[in-house]
Amino acid sequence: MNRSTNRAMTWLNTVTAAALMLLTALAYGEEPMTDARAIVEKAEQVAFYSGQDGRTEARMLITDRQNRRQVRQFTLLRRTREDNSTQDMMVFFSRPADVRNTVFRVIKRVGTEDDRWLYLPGLDLVKRISAGDKRTAFVGSHFFYEDVSGRSTQLDHYELLETTEEVYRLKGTPKDPASVEFDHYIVAIDRKTMLPVSTDYKNAQGKTYRQMEVLEIQTIEGYPTVTHSVMRDLETGGQTEMQFRNIAYDLGLPESVFSERSLRNPPTEWLN
Amino acid sequence: MNHPRQTPLVRWAITHPRTVFWGLGVLTVLFTALLPLIQIDTDPENMLPEDNPERVFHNQVQERFSMHDTLVVGMVHPDGIYQPRLLADLHSVTRYAEQLGGVISPDVMSLASVDNITQNEQNTLRFEWMMRTPPETAQDAERIRTQVEDLPLLFDTLVSADGKAASVYIPIEDKNRSYALSRNIRAHIDTLDSDAQWHVTGLPVAEDRFGHEMFVQMGISAPLAGLTIFLLLWVFFRNIPFILSPMIVAMATVLITMGALIGAGFTVHIMSSMIAIFLMPIAVVDSVHILSEFADRYRRGANAKVVVTEVMSHLFKPMLLTSVTSAVGFFSLMLTPIPPVQIFGFFVGMGILLAFAMTIVVVPAYLTSLNPSTLDRMVDRLPDEDKTRLAGALTALGRAARARTRLWVLGFSALFAVSVWGITQIQINDNPVRWFKADHELRIADRTLNDHFAGTYDAYLVFDSTVSPDAQARELLDEAMAKEILSENQQAWLSAQRDALTGEHALSDLILALDDRLFETSGTDARVFETLMEELEQLQSRGQTFLQPTILAYLDRLESALIDTGRVGKSNSLVDVVKTVNRELRSGEAKDFQLPSSAEAVAQTLLQYQSSHRPQDLWHFVTPDYQSSLIWLQLTSGDNQQMSAVVDAVNRYIQDHPLPEGLSMQWAGKTYLNVVWQSEMVEGMATSLVSAFVIVLVMMVLLFRSLWFGLIAMLPLTLTITGIYGLIGWIGKDYDMPIAVLSALTLGLSIDFAIHFVERARATARATGDWSQTLDVMFREPARAIARNAIVIAVGFTPLLLAPLVPYITVGVFLASIMALSALVTLVLLPVVITLLRRILFGFQDSPENASTHTDRSPIE
Repeated sequence: MNRSTNRAMTWLNTVTAAALMLLTALAYGEEPMTDARAIVEKAEQVAFYSGQDGRTEARMLITDRQNRRQVRQFTLLRRTREDNSTQDMMVFFSRPADVRNTVFRVIKRVGTEDDRWLYLPGLDLVKRISAGDKRTAFVGSHFFYEDVSGRSTQLDHYELLETTEEVYRLKGTPKDPASVEFDHYIVAIDRKTMLPVSTDYKNAQGKTYRQMEVLEIQTIEGYPTVTHSVMRDLETGGQTEMQFRNIAYDLGLPESVFSERSLRNPPTEWLN
Repeated sequence: MNHPRQTPLVRWAITHPRTVFWGLGVLTVLFTALLPLIQIDTDPENMLPEDNPERVFHNQVQERFSMHDTLVVGMVHPDGIYQPRLLADLHSVTRYAEQLGGVISPDVMSLASVDNITQNEQNTLRFEWMMRTPPETAQDAERIRTQVEDLPLLFDTLVSADGKAASVYIPIEDKNRSYALSRNIRAHIDTLDSDAQWHVTGLPVAEDRFGHEMFVQMGISAPLAGLTIFLLLWVFFRNIPFILSPMIVAMATVLITMGALIGAGFTVHIMSSMIAIFLMPIAVVDSVHILSEFADRYRRGANAKVVVTEVMSHLFKPMLLTSVTSAVGFFSLMLTPIPPVQIFGFFVGMGILLAFAMTIVVVPAYLTSLNPSTLDRMVDRLPDEDKTRLAGALTALGRAARARTRLWVLGFSALFAVSVWGITQIQINDNPVRWFKADHELRIADRTLNDHFAGTYDAYLVFDSTVSPDAQARELLDEAMAKEILSENQQAWLSAQRDALTGEHALSDLILALDDRLFETSGTDARVFETLMEELEQLQSRGQTFLQPTILAYLDRLESALIDTGRVGKSNSLVDVVKTVNRELRSGEAKDFQLPSSAEAVAQTLLQYQSSHRPQDLWHFVTPDYQSSLIWLQLTSGDNQQMSAVVDAVNRYIQDHPLPEGLSMQWAGKTYLNVVWQSEMVEGMATSLVSAFVIVLVMMVLLFRSLWFGLIAMLPLTLTITGIYGLIGWIGKDYDMPIAVLSALTLGLSIDFAIHFVERARATARATGDWSQTLDVMFREPARAIARNAIVIAVGFTPLLLAPLVPYITVGVFLASIMALSALVTLVLLPVVITLLRRILFGFQDSPENASTHTDRSPIE
């Protein structure tokens, strides 16, 4: 694929997206949706499947209750495969300096375990990772791996609790409670953008112990995109702020970018 | 006191009994009303002042490494814990504890809450919960064993090396809730119907139980002491109305003193909880003197007022003196650097003075208000003093003391020498857990868990980086600013950044700000910034001390050396984290259990550790800026000696292998703090003992207006205290907190006997002009008064033997034996020494027929 085809596709995608948005507005703008499943699936699309591919630079500020800080900075590339559910992802770390060039490679599959690889330049090592579950910390932040990759809506039952002027509020309950640490969660989905704007994770006692909140949304190339969010751990008093910049969609990222080769040889032309 | 004179205070008391009783009543009620404000303090940390540097540092370390007070649940089964039903129980207890309010659930540690890091298949790193759900089959249980035995941070901490015990560490927010929480956990364990043996322990539980036992002691031992003294007085005087006044004085003294202590806002610590039982017998002693002499002098139909006035004019001065010397003994405790001991010394001292003041006012007022017929009945029933068993024993003692004076001196000298040798053998050692009796459930839990695990006593070796990169960062900024190609407004921006370069995240903030700035910068400015950025990042990486392999290797070697001493059960540190993850990243085999070779590799290894379910665990070993790290040592004994030996071993190691440059080391941890206050106490006690000795000696010399008599008066207690402490050295009992505290205060108490003996002996000798006759008199009424007081105090302390905590028992045994012994020594040693020195002391030429059968020459001549 050459650059011009890419650009054409980008243009096409943008038009398609705009048309979709218009349709969305027409279809849902006035009349609120009532089917919980339809709402969350739409939100999943907007939050994790916008565009055929995308790039963003992310910066995480991880603070603990004593306000001590760690920084993580990385570039994330994403590409959705033809089945519209499987996704390739690459995470290239740039900061702190001593983890620079550490790379994650992920093939996210719905309904089964993801494939994950890791490249550690300091150890000159490519390692396959298999995690028992996806609810482990993402590189020491308060976001879980699953918060970054996207929790499949197939995993939970949903119940629409209320519909306000701004949001749909839904309760998500895990189909397999043993696989997660929460009892249920309450998610608010912005009616205008269909992006989840806050999620409260509750324990068996109904107490919120973990809380995601979106602080800023921008529309980029027609896609409503979260550019600033925070995950609070109410039990430890720590939190992670995540900011995104230099966002682009539908870059026409070639498949080769998402290969094992890219672990040791980052595709620099796609990173800025 | 040889010149009877009216004491105005006593005269006033006799003429205004109602005012006296009302005043006493109101005062007592007022102070008693303060008692409900009581605040119990059981934190051993409070043995050190709040601003003690070691204590301050310890608390900073706790905060810095997110450590909390922790309950420890132990599960022990002789057939091993890797059985599905037992692991299910452990799982259940963990889940139960996690949901309890007040538990810091993310930090709960047990097989059911930690991660397993392992190699799954060829070249696959796997993070998963060790035991998210209980295993269903024996093979699953056995697999957990294999997995946990491969993780050095967990093995021998969460499960024992012998596979027979597992533990749950439950950090809590507020240790005042530890009792309620441990009871909840205990109740949950009971519902499990588990056939394992369970222990719920940990420092907060111990402290809480301690507070509870303190209340028991105060509620039972102190009233028992009162009852015992009451019974003793009844044996002496056989008349209840007559002996009520000492009891009233004692009760009022205890209530007012405790009310004052609590009202003044002091917490009741283990030391101050003993104030009641100390004051009770001491407060009675003066009254016993008054009652004894009153009973001697009062005859049927006599005027009680006249008799009381007479008695008081005799006794005022010796009572004042003995009270002041006792108070001095206790006040001297204020010279120790241990706040609870200072408070104890001050309030007991004040209580003694208060008891004296109340005795000279209340007892006369009370006696003269008694119905004359009561007094007559009392006199009638009084046993004939000369025919009691006590009188017989004392006469025999007197005879023995007079015979073979030189042999006695030889014996006492030998005893003294042996005692001094014993003192040099004293082992200074303490361990607050041993303050519980050996059969206490917490002691049993302590023994069991330390038998199985690498140790439940924690000490921390804390390392800090002493260099701040900020100064170098400023230099780099200066260099960049000086570059001519940089535009003016960027120079101004850098200058502003330079000024803002202070505080914890200064360098990290600067890097982020520069990164943001770079986003909007182009051209030559961007090139300057990029160079600067590179340099700053290098600086930051270098400054992350505890990512440097050389530093970690030093910690690693130190840990091995400590394990080799055999005094440390286990050590845990960042090194173990890095090595374990490194092993699993590589082959998963033992050969890769080692440190990577670069700081980058260490950082990337840790990035993986942080991708687990419990990333926060890392911060128990290192701070997020990698400027500070610790080695957590587990010791199987909380004995100070054990801890001191480890401190010595570390010091030796550091002497032979100096710390890497830019690193400092300091200790923290409760086990270490115990050593700190223990050694301060030993030193403080020496000061307090010496100063009490000197003050009392000076008082004696002034009182007797004679250096010789002053010195002689100090002899019996010197011999007694030396003897008792010598005995401690000989039998190998540890010199601990209660024993240390006793030295100075017994001095103040046992001098009383000598004061009475010397005072009476001198008066009698002057009256009779003959030493032999004087001795005859001395071993009648004066010896009886001394013996009676010794018995009151000694027996008054014996209810402490029933107390639930070891320090109370120690205090009871020691005070009782010191009192009894020093009375005995006073009655033997003083006659012997005075006999030998009688020419110097009295100018008596001789009295050959009774003074001594062997000699009439003093060895001092």
